[in-house]
Amino acid sequence: MRVSFFLSVWLLVTIIFCGQVVAKNPEEILTFKLPSDPISFQPAPGSQLANNYCLICHSAEYIYMQPPHPRELWTEIVHKMKESFGCPIPDEQISPLVDYLLSQNSIQISPPTHSVQSEAPEIIADQPQSFPGDPRNGKVLYERHCPTCHGAGGKGDGLIGQSLVPPAANLTLLREKSDTSILDTIRNGRPGTAMPSWKDYLNHSELNDLLSYIRTLSP
Amino acid sequence: MTTRPPQLETPFSIFHESIFTPNDAFFVRWHLANIPQKIDPDTFRLTIRGRVNHPLSLNLHELKTQFEQMEIAAVCQCAGNSRGFFQPRVPGGQWGNGAMGNAKWKGVRLRDLLQKADMKEDARHVRFDGLDQPVAEATPDFQKSLGLNDALHEEVLVAHSMNGESLPMLNGFPLRLVVPGWFATYWVKMLNDIEVLNEADQNFWTTKAYRLPADPCHCARPGEMLTSTVPTGKMAVRSFITNVENDQTVTGGKVFDIKGIAFDQGYGIDRVLFSMDGGQQWQSTRLGTDYGDFSFRPWEAQFIPETGRSYRLQSLAINRIGESQRFSPRWNPSGYLRNAIETVTIHAI
Repeated sequence: MRVSFFLSVWLLVTIIFCGQVVAKNPEEILTFKLPSDPISFQPAPGSQLANNYCLICHSAEYIYMQPPHPRELWTEIVHKMKESFGCPIPDEQISPLVDYLLSQNSIQISPPTHSVQSEAPEIIADQPQSFPGDPRNGKVLYERHCPTCHGAGGKGDGLIGQSLVPPAANLTLLREKSDTSILDTIRNGRPGTAMPSWKDYLNHSELNDLLSYIRTLSP
Repeated sequence: MTTRPPQLETPFSIFHESIFTPNDAFFVRWHLANIPQKIDPDTFRLTIRGRVNHPLSLNLHELKTQFEQMEIAAVCQCAGNSRGFFQPRVPGGQWGNGAMGNAKWKGVRLRDLLQKADMKEDARHVRFDGLDQPVAEATPDFQKSLGLNDALHEEVLVAHSMNGESLPMLNGFPLRLVVPGWFATYWVKMLNDIEVLNEADQNFWTTKAYRLPADPCHCARPGEMLTSTVPTGKMAVRSFITNVENDQTVTGGKVFDIKGIAFDQGYGIDRVLFSMDGGQQWQSTRLGTDYGDFSFRPWEAQFIPETGRSYRLQSLAINRIGESQRFSPRWNPSGYLRNAIETVTIHAI
């Protein structure tokens, strides 16, 4: 059975959910696949906070569908997320996050129409270590974007890494993973997890730099 | 509407196509993003525990063979359906009118299960939990409760089927609590645990979320601090015109059929009135097939639009205890319980 909804709601966003149900026979296990987040937070001051904290529980669509809200209401919303829903955002980060949310409020953004393949033409081989980057710059990028979940040493033991379900990946165990697969995860995020897509934040050479640094984390 | 957690709105034209909303177009609303993507019907168990003398752990086969099977047509509507129409606007999921659906739900009576488990004398509330889990540990698990009297109503079902098929994964496979007349927040999906309590449930989703201003109108003024709130419970009477869209053009000078639906919290629809002039004059309509007090009730009316004129079409439902829709929309900060008269403008050419 294919479950597909065609929605034309407020944002005129059409989302196609493909739930593939393996079998209707009661003897068999039913599975379905949830799609990955179709849109990302737009890069701007504070977007890192939105990526680190908002995306733990929900996709960015929740923000972009909101009608204009005043600062007081956004502040109230972020406090509710922290106090009622357990968002691990430190108090001193609330105000910068509210600044960012205000800057994004009622911006119309649409899911990208281009395919992942077309923006990464240089990825052709699926073998380890095929994309040399600069691990020094990769370290800078890592320290800016990744430790909240993956931890300073990449073990998945960041501030919120172990409270996620599933927990943040241990990046020291990726020796067997191909470059293509790791780059794909960074670029597009991982469906069903809090791992967001970074393709709007990192260009090709930065992705390769980050990959090179992540390679140094494996023993 | 959102991908994670999944929230999907039923396209409004679906309500014109069929009085029962197809399973693959039925609105979807999850609160927590950690939803099992794989369920084995053979190992799945529904537990009934707490203040009972005989805790139960039932598999799907036992549920379908050891208890009387009941089927009921009932509307499932999100408390925040139509939130996007609140003025001033309110935060939250910006639903249009498609956070609702009507289906035939089949399953067993909750009361039969509770009877089999043999509740202790101090049983007062019943709490329902599904397989969905929070992403972050600190987020409260999604659970809802009913008072014992409400839980024992004969139409409250633990359903395994929807419109003659197994529940879809997105709508709660393998079991969903069906509470006809009550907002969808109580219709717990992927239901796997029923706990009988001897006191009021203190869980976040019951005590803090889904609250309405306590006054009889459930209204507030924008900016007002709510001093007293009550849980969102039963639905209020509503009706919709389903066969025309806003700003549609129609042919003037000949009879035009208007079709729609109406529903309430289970008293049943007594009548639906129709207006073509924004509510200045009302005419009666013909009610269609009655599928039960909790179902959508179809209705229809006719009028002859004059070429060159525009019409503000409205419908007004009245239920069997005499409650009508509101003439002016209520406002509350969470955008719940809208049941104002809706308007569709059409142009005759």
